[in-house]
Amino acid sequence: MTEPTGPAEGSLPGDPAPMQVRPARQRWWHRLSPVWLVPLVALVVALGIAWQSYAGRGELITISFQNASGIEAGSTPVKFRDVTIGVVEQVNFGAGLSEVLVSARVAKDVAPFIDKEAEFWVVRPEVSVRGVSGLDTVLSGAFIAGRWDSDSSGARSRFVGLEVPPMLGGIDQKGLMVTLILRDGNQISAGAPILYRGIEVGTVGAPRLSEDGDSVLIDAFIEAPYTERLTTSSRFWDASGFDVSIGTSGVELDVKSLASLIEGGISFDTVISGGAPVNPGDSFMVYPDETAARASIFTSSTDAGLPVSVVFDGSVSGLTVGAEVRFRGLKVGEVTDLGAFVQGEGDERRVRLRANLELRSGRFGLGDKATPEQTMDLLQDLVENSGLRARLSTASILTGGLLVELVELPDAAPASIRMEAEPYPELPTAEAALSDFAATSQGVFERINALPVEELMQSAIDALDSFRALAADPATRQVPQAAVSLLDETRALVTTELQAIAARARGILDQIEQGQAVENLIAAIGRADRAMASVETASADFPAISAEVRSVAEKVDGLAMEQLVASADRLVNSANALIDTEDARRLPAAAADALREVAVFLGQVREGGAIEHANSAISAAEAAADSIRQAAQSLPDLSERMSGLVVSANGVVAGYGERSRFNAELMSVLRDIQAAADAVTALARTIERNPNSLILGR
Amino acid sequence: MSEAATTTARSAGLIACTRCCRVFAPGTELCSRCGAPLSSRDARALQRVWAWWFAGLIVYVPANIYPMLITRTLVFSSESTIIGGVIELASHGDIFVALVVFTASILIPVGKFLAIGFLALSIEKRRFMDEHAQHRLHAVVEFIGRWSMIDVFVVAIVTSLVRFDAVATINPGIAAISFALSVAFTMLAAQSFDPRTIWDE
Repeated sequence: MTEPTGPAEGSLPGDPAPMQVRPARQRWWHRLSPVWLVPLVALVVALGIAWQSYAGRGELITISFQNASGIEAGSTPVKFRDVTIGVVEQVNFGAGLSEVLVSARVAKDVAPFIDKEAEFWVVRPEVSVRGVSGLDTVLSGAFIAGRWDSDSSGARSRFVGLEVPPMLGGIDQKGLMVTLILRDGNQISAGAPILYRGIEVGTVGAPRLSEDGDSVLIDAFIEAPYTERLTTSSRFWDASGFDVSIGTSGVELDVKSLASLIEGGISFDTVISGGAPVNPGDSFMVYPDETAARASIFTSSTDAGLPVSVVFDGSVSGLTVGAEVRFRGLKVGEVTDLGAFVQGEGDERRVRLRANLELRSGRFGLGDKATPEQTMDLLQDLVENSGLRARLSTASILTGGLLVELVELPDAAPASIRMEAEPYPELPTAEAALSDFAATSQGVFERINALPVEELMQSAIDALDSFRALAADPATRQVPQAAVSLLDETRALVTTELQAIAARARGILDQIEQGQAVENLIAAIGRADRAMASVETASADFPAISAEVRSVAEKVDGLAMEQLVASADRLVNSANALIDTEDARRLPAAAADALREVAVFLGQVREGGAIEHANSAISAAEAAADSIRQAAQSLPDLSERMSGLVVSANGVVAGYGERSRFNAELMSVLRDIQAAADAVTALARTIERNPNSLILGR
Repeated sequence: MSEAATTTARSAGLIACTRCCRVFAPGTELCSRCGAPLSSRDARALQRVWAWWFAGLIVYVPANIYPMLITRTLVFSSESTIIGGVIELASHGDIFVALVVFTASILIPVGKFLAIGFLALSIEKRRFMDEHAQHRLHAVVEFIGRWSMIDVFVVAIVTSLVRFDAVATINPGIAAISFALSVAFTMLAAQSFDPRTIWDE
């Protein structure tokens, strides 16, 4: 407080009141303005904020990546279970520019859990056949994902990032991690599903090569509720792509989901009960298909393979690697290798075929613990005392596939296993058993194929051609009346008989389809024989007729009209008589019977169970077929003779004139003949094109 | 200070109303014209100036360090500080806008701090400047102070306009509040200043 100075005394009336001077007694804080609280509070708040952001800024961790595409300093988040727990602060290069070091600050409360088991990877949008993953990153950009367990044991700050995202599941997800062993990784890619009865129950990781390079290993993660489905008796198989299998039941096409078609997939199933629980990290073999996987269950993993070789004399066509080896109908092993080798010296040198087999020790009744040596002893015993032999046998009639059968032939010549044989002990062989059934049935097929049906048809066609030629003969020109009646007869023959033949032939097919009664086969064959005999007798009449025909033709040249007409009449009568012969009519019926019997026999063969009768039946059928063939051979002769007749008739017709009734008749006759011939030809083609229809009835 | 200078109310033994400029005899408590409290000199005015000045300065620090705007779109999220925003604008070629923002957010506040500090110091210690000039400076500071709020208004408008939830959102950062406080505090500091003291000996 300064004393006010009054510069202008006279500016105001009167003396200014003397100011009282009071010394400042107040303490300094009394004079302090309360406004000072404001900067104080501001300071406290500002310091508070500063401290908070310093203290809460989290721990700095460094992750090294080979490829940091999409990572930006300052904005790329670090996520744990899809929650952002930090942000990348810096992206720079490691020593020698060989890697990218990404420094990120992660939340303080999470940092202690990021220990040495923590894994980091970069999540980028990914489009695969299974869908689009990481779609959010399309807009937000890539982020770094991490995972670690909930134990905080020794937090670290340096990590090596994964280049490929780890598969689903992980440290904290409930489930089971197993290792799958594949032959090759062609069909499978990381992230492919694991299916259990078509339901996705897990995924596989990236395939990697085993240490020895022999197989491909894949980590597979089975999610929690489904792990119970997995036991030691589960089998995995490759469900990739589609399966086409051709078997006796027809063609089967099995396509799994579209994703597994492209990306691959692995299925598993527990084939038999009684498996033990699986421990994490256990290994499973992946079989190429479900059938193999299911078949493998019979091959216990402890079952040691017993390699032996078998030397065959004949052709092994139809035997393939992987073909079964059967012992009393049970699969005891499979063919592992096929090859030829030269045996003997000098003149005795010859090429023989060797099949290497791998037999399963456990399949011979010695139990799972059986060693190969024990099994070999057993085999040796069986070979020496029971006549155990290896022989080729038919696996499938349709495919002609073979298998190796171990049979016991008590009366076989004594033999033993040649233990010193290279490369494996050699089992003695027996005559192949494939002829029994396959060969005979094949023979039947062949014989049916060889039936001169076509020749018969050809002869008929020739005959018709001859008719046409006969009509064209100028000699017949003069005998219209006789020719007309001749042609009428011929037409009757053609329209009734030949068409009846066609109808009967169709009837034959029907009968073939309806056939039954195998037991009568042999008797039926006998009937067929007799029928053939009749045919032959019938055929014996032909020469006489044809001689007459020929004489008619000859007489046409030289004789007078009346004689010619009379001859023609006789000819026609004779032809009629021939056609009307009961035997000739019976021929197709008899042949039909024979064919029906054959069909019935084949049906029986197809249904199985008649194999015992097969051999005798087949021999009878052979005889029958021979008879049919012989009978049929005489048919061309018949038709040849008829040809002459027809040639003459044709000549007559051609000479008669173009617009006459005769000609019209002739044309209609010829059309009828043509139609009949076509019907017969069509029948022949049908049979020729699909001989099975005779046998299978469809 | 020139001797031929003005006569102050105080030197004339009177009390001037700071609001309506009427003078009263000493001892008058309230202005009879406008009702404002009267005091010849507020002893604690300078203290208040300094207090507001410091408060403003303190909150001006976070206003520059922390983000002013937090922009979130589907694609990215960015936080921009005042300086960062100015640099970004300038690098995009919007020199004019950058200059406006720079002037309003940096130049003016800093200038105000300097001006008020200078005025307060010159009252306390010695005079570096002609009283008239000081008075004009004070007037300018008081006038210009409110314009600094332009920044805050821009932020307020932008954040209320750009609010499309998931697609794009702009939120004010800590710096916006700090800056608003800083402007308010410096305005209060300028107001707390008793310009009459400029003329005191």
